[in-house]
Amino acid sequence: MAELTAALGADTVSDRTAPAPPATLLTEQEFHEIYRSQGRALWAYLYRLTGNAADADDLLQDSFCRLLATPLATRDESQLRAYLFRIASNVSIDHWRRSGRARREADPPPPTATPDGANAAVLRHDMARTFRELKPQERVLLWLAHVEGSEHREIATTLGLKAASVPVLLFRARRKLAGLLKKRGLGPGER
Amino acid sequence: MLDRTCTHQSALVDAALSGGEPDAALAAHLAACPSCREACDAVRWMRQLADAPAEAHALPNPDVIWWKAQLLRRWDVERRAAAPIERMHKAELVGGLASLVAFVVWQWSGVSRMFSNLVPSLLSTMSAQAAGGHAASGPSGLALTLGSLLLGALILAGFHRMLSDN
Repeated sequence: MAELTAALGADTVSDRTAPAPPATLLTEQEFHEIYRSQGRALWAYLYRLTGNAADADDLLQDSFCRLLATPLATRDESQLRAYLFRIASNVSIDHWRRSGRARREADPPPPTATPDGANAAVLRHDMARTFRELKPQERVLLWLAHVEGSEHREIATTLGLKAASVPVLLFRARRKLAGLLKKRGLGPGER
Repeated sequence: MLDRTCTHQSALVDAALSGGEPDAALAAHLAACPSCREACDAVRWMRQLADAPAEAHALPNPDVIWWKAQLLRRWDVERRAAAPIERMHKAELVGGLASLVAFVVWQWSGVSRMFSNLVPSLLSTMSAQAAGGHAASGPSGLALTLGSLLLGALILAGFHRMLSDN
């Protein structure tokens, strides 16, 4: 958390004890470098969350716009990545709130791959569909915890939860996912 | 629902996250504990999902994102700069309305008399002028009429500005 907060601008961090370098906005060149290195991974994350390429595009743009509007005290890539994923999670949650909880996310059309890649494409499609059966908050929780390796406190800040609730929610999300995998025959040992 | 995790689960999830094999004791526990197995399966599956190649899709043009971010920032700066002017506009309107209320309260008897006489006096203006009389009742009536007209114009201007801002 301390690393992540250090990445934020002076006006957004109040509990800093050591003097930090002045927070400045990203330059165009810095933005292009970050976009090149993180854009694809962030888009993949947003695509997994939303299941929709157009939504993922929009949310990617919003996430980078927010990043560009925030003065940053660091240019460390791992800190920027963590911060960017946190912004993207917030943007996604705002998106879901705006569009309503009842809104059904449309499944992308089933893959029409060549015979060589058919199995992999179908499996990928099933995996994505299974993931979208989880609630948005559960998706973000699982991704941040188990793919990005975020700490519970970071996840709590991102999702507006108490830090103590995160392990419990994570446990429930994992259990729900395990149930879905079992139901669909998609467990790691069954691939 | 039981939300208690097994005491070994944290270590097993960490091992699954790192992609390594748990040590012998943990492996033995894993074989015997369905809850831990579920957790590890979910973690491994998440890693596979993350590693699975996403659809071939062209990312949005970064130049467009940069341009959009600059535009949003400029709008934000403009909005902040215009905030005091907006506040002044509102204060102007509130001031105008307060003046009107004060004026009406202060001159209530004259205003009410003027309005009660206004319609008949307008209708009889022509005949009154022909007879050499006056439609309004002297200089105080004229001041009231002019004051009301000025305040009315002020209010209209205020509403016009408010509507055009919106």
